[in-house]
Parts: sequence; C-alpha cells; structure tokens
Amino acid sequence: MAEEMASGRRRPTRWLDLRGRHEGAWAYALNRLTGIGLVAYLYVHLGVLSLLAHGPSTWNSFLATSKAPFFTALDALVLLGVLFHSLNGIRLGLTGVGAAVRWHQLLLRSLMALAVVLFLVAGLLWSIRG
Amino acid sequence: MRAGFGVEKRSTLSWLWQAATGVLLLPLLALHIIANHFVVTGGERNFAEVASYLGNPVIKVLEVLFLVVVTSHAMLGVRSILFDMGVPRRSRPAVSWAVTALGVVTVAYGIWLTITISR
Repeated sequence: MAEEMASGRRRPTRWLDLRGRHEGAWAYALNRLTGIGLVAYLYVHLGVLSLLAHGPSTWNSFLATSKAPFFTALDALVLLGVLFHSLNGIRLGLTGVGAAVRWHQLLLRSLMALAVVLFLVAGLLWSIRG
Repeated sequence: MRAGFGVEKRSTLSWLWQAATGVLLLPLLALHIIANHFVVTGGERNFAEVASYLGNPVIKVLEVLFLVVVTSHAMLGVRSILFDMGVPRRSRPAVSWAVTALGVVTVAYGIWLTITISR
C-alpha cells in the first residue's frame, strides 16, 4: 500500500485486497462483485429472453429445461446477489449522503439479516408455488 | 483548476444518477421478479402468458422503464469500476462513450424484443 502511494500508481484490484480491512470494506468489495455478476446476468437473461422471438415452441421447450436443479440453483444465486446488492446499496446511498454514518455497521448487519429473511421467504414461496 | 472542478461535478452527478436509478430499481425489480416468477404457476410464464402480460400497455411501459433504469445503473457501475481500476484520465471519455453506446444498444434490443413478443 505504502509502495503504491509512493509510486503514485494504484493496483487495479486493490479493492479486492481485504487483508486487515473492516467489514465495510468487505461489503464494498462484495457489492462490486455482485454488481459485476448481475451485469453478466442481465446479458444472459436478455439472451434467454431472445428465445421468445423464435416463437412458442422454442420458448415452451426451454421452459422444460429450465426446471433442472442447476437452473434453480443459479436462480437462487442470482436472488441472493440481488438481495445483497440492493440492500447494501441502500446502506451505501444513505451513508453517501451523510445519513446514518454513525450506525453504518449496525445498518449493514440489520440489512444483511433482512436479506437472509427475504431469501428464506422467497425460497418458501418458490417451493409452495411448485 | 476549472477542469478539476468539472471532473468532480461530473463524478458527483454520476453518483447521484447511480443512486437515483438504484432507488427506482427497488420497486421496478420487485415488480419484475414477483410478477414473472412468484405469482405464476411453475415459476415461469409460457409463451401465451408472456405475450398476454406484455400486451398490457401499463406493464409494457413499466417493463421498458425497468430495462432503461437497470441498464443505466449497470453501465454507470461498470464505468465506475473501470475508472477505479485505473483507466487513465485521457481515456475516460472514450470509456464513457463505449459504455453509453453499449447501454443504448442493450435498451434498443430489449425494446425490439418487447414489441416483437407482444405483437
């Protein structure tokens, strides 16, 4: 770090180096990683939806494939990423405008607890809906 | 000094736009996920159900708005990460143009797809 400051150059992935950093830095790095993952998912999602342009038989046969456990696991991972990114985003927005800066750690823990609850509720609804 | 202030002002505007699109995304994303995956038997709409859903003009406007907002948020995020990873200051306008162009193409493709499906 000191070497980087002395040379005036910054390592491109320094935000991923979490050695000895506090949990806010972990949340920041995870926010970026989930953001990159969700951007990738946006294009995968658009690619999948493009099957709709090929007509009912293409889309309906894809639906049969999408019931496989691999896709369900992928959906669960995306939902987890969305919940973390959006709830942590609320914290970043609030602290960014100077609100709740003193309670940012409590806010992070509360929002992550809410993310877990929402994920479990979504899983329950998902299984009930069949 | 003036250039420095301009850069700072632009980055504040980017942050505000990122935050504003983030706030808008909360209800739009919730609607998109719940309507397309949680209130549908089996978790996915079949072709006829998708066409009927997008045939509703209010839903069509909301889904296109969702696409515009999520793409703006995503492109601003990508740009911010690239800048933070050390893109040289002189290359930043080109990066901004590239992510803007990618965003415009993404939204245009999404709108074309929405219209094609609901026709």
